[in-house]
Amino acid sequence: MRWRDAAAMAATSIRRRFGRSILTVAAVALAATLLTALVTIAGTARTKVLSELSKGGPLSGITVAAAEVDPTQVDTDDPRPGPPKDLDDRVRNRIQALPEVKTVLPIVAAVINAVPAEPPASAEILGRLPPIPSTVATTTTGAPSTTVSTAPRPTIPGVTTPGPFAETMVGIELERASLMPITILSGRLPVPHSLTEVAVTQGYLTRMGLTKKQAAAVVGTEVQLGAPRVFTDSGQPRRFRSRWQRLTIVGVVAQETAPGQFLVSLEQARAARAWTASGSEVEGRLQIPTSPYSGLFVIAQDLERVNKVRNEITQLGYSTSAPENLVASVQRYLRVVEIVLGAIGAIALVIASLGIANALLAAVRERRREIGVLKAIGARDRDVQRVFLFEAGVLGLVGGTVGTAGGFATALGVSAVVNQYLTAQGLAGVRLGLPLTVLVSAVVGSTLLALAAGAMPARRAARLPAREAMEAA
Amino acid sequence: MGVAITLRGLSHTYRTSDGPLTVLGGLDLDVTDGGYAAVTGPSGAGKTTLLSLLGGLEQPQKGKIEVGGLDLTELSGDGLAAYRRATVGFVFQHFGLLETLTAAQNVELAGTLNGATPAERRARALHLLDAVGLADRAGHRPSRLSGGERQRVAIARALVNQPKLLLADEPTGNLDDDSAAMVIELLEAVRHEHRCTLVLVTHHRDLAARAEQHVALDRGRPVATPV
Repeated sequence: MRWRDAAAMAATSIRRRFGRSILTVAAVALAATLLTALVTIAGTARTKVLSELSKGGPLSGITVAAAEVDPTQVDTDDPRPGPPKDLDDRVRNRIQALPEVKTVLPIVAAVINAVPAEPPASAEILGRLPPIPSTVATTTTGAPSTTVSTAPRPTIPGVTTPGPFAETMVGIELERASLMPITILSGRLPVPHSLTEVAVTQGYLTRMGLTKKQAAAVVGTEVQLGAPRVFTDSGQPRRFRSRWQRLTIVGVVAQETAPGQFLVSLEQARAARAWTASGSEVEGRLQIPTSPYSGLFVIAQDLERVNKVRNEITQLGYSTSAPENLVASVQRYLRVVEIVLGAIGAIALVIASLGIANALLAAVRERRREIGVLKAIGARDRDVQRVFLFEAGVLGLVGGTVGTAGGFATALGVSAVVNQYLTAQGLAGVRLGLPLTVLVSAVVGSTLLALAAGAMPARRAARLPAREAMEAA
Repeated sequence: MGVAITLRGLSHTYRTSDGPLTVLGGLDLDVTDGGYAAVTGPSGAGKTTLLSLLGGLEQPQKGKIEVGGLDLTELSGDGLAAYRRATVGFVFQHFGLLETLTAAQNVELAGTLNGATPAERRARALHLLDAVGLADRAGHRPSRLSGGERQRVAIARALVNQPKLLLADEPTGNLDDDSAAMVIELLEAVRHEHRCTLVLVTHHRDLAARAEQHVALDRGRPVATPV
């Protein structure tokens, strides 16, 4: 008997026992639904949790500070940096040349004054700008930042707009922002190389008296950012002037690249930094770090190579931080959760396959006469076995396919509900990808399990003595 | 062409809860090529076992069976299956039709097992159904056919692979007299047309009397000489 004929006979048998076939398929489908939904949800949750750990960047990301290594902190995820140390293109190229390094992303921070959106800034407002402190505080990561408290001014209805304040802008290669620890909370990122767009952080919202949920309120508004510079004329007191630019806020982000409430293009930050770094005389300049880059974000080839890359960068003399120990620990827990959820689904599938075996055993009992007739007219043992295996395979394939589709649909439904909740909480939602491996594995696994379940009944049918089958008639 | 049958010292015993049950005890029998033999006897005489052994449904435990020069004692598994496909056509008392298939599909089934293409076996099935007078019932399932019609479908199926040996196990057992007569006449006509050897098991002595050779069995042994 040819495979096609065996398939046709199996299909006929399934059609004629439609009720039982439907119930058997339903059992497999439900099990496959459970398995697919659990594994998909677990996988998505894993991605989300790890994404939170890496702050939206790759898990294999390493932050290199423009600071020396603190020897006592080498083995920690987030070490305290040592004294400032310049990070320039030479160092960047050396790190890029390391074999385990995938890419190196520069970060430039610049001190600025900010004037939030309020009716267009006027000369009067510019004149009331507070002076930039002559000594700039250095953060633990070595990036410059300043804080100037200002009295809130009532401006936008319902919102308190702060007065001008000193902050830090962080410049990155926006075209590669997806590789960095940046999560968009509202709006979008500035377009690459833009000199007119900026994204702000939650800190900016806090200044406005807004919560994360209200992030969208600032998108589309404008903010003026001014890079300060000191001018000293002989016999005159020091004067501060700023290079002002009016930027449109296009998004609100959570970013961990460097401390700073304004995320801009690398060009924008470089220009601001260059303006500030140049002064009329050395003594009068603002004391900002001399490092061209305030940090580098290094991406290792994979998570396993993060430690090696960190060691190599440490040998170059720079302090690094990466959540490698935390990620490894969380990954272990997540793996356990995935195994447990997968096992629950697998158990359901095994139970369903027992249903297939039971249905087929019943079919063998009922069809003793049919099997006998088949043998009497010349069917070989393997012909009979083939028919029953086909039947099992079809039940598994149909059940698996329907169930896998149902499972994915369930996961989509769950993710929609979760996203609704996360959005209400002002958090970025989860994106449910198409887990092709999971879907294909579920269908193939269901079919194989059904074939395994059908093997015993099929063998029993095949071994049924022809004469005994005739007696059943 | 038919086949000659030679049985020598054929014995067969079944294990039962009451101990071994010998249903054939040293049976000798010869049926000529193209011959027509009827086997009669009371229940438990070994008629069906004899037919089962001749049809290769099971292997003989003792003795020798030669069908067309082929020693069935040397065959097993696939060999017996091939013998059944190529040489034997079965007609059963209970028709042995698959309820899930139509009359034509039932007839086609034997061709399916023989590796015929769908077109070939379809054409052959319709031709044979026409030959047994059931061309108009080709698409009907067995449940919609009368007993006589079912048995004619079974005969058509038995003829699909042009068997050399036709084995009929009480083919009229479940039929009324008219249908029984029609089926017997059909079997005899088929035997003449196809020149195959026919072995018929029956309870009816009058049907057995129509055969060229009559073997009466009792407890696995012949009790009367052939007619």
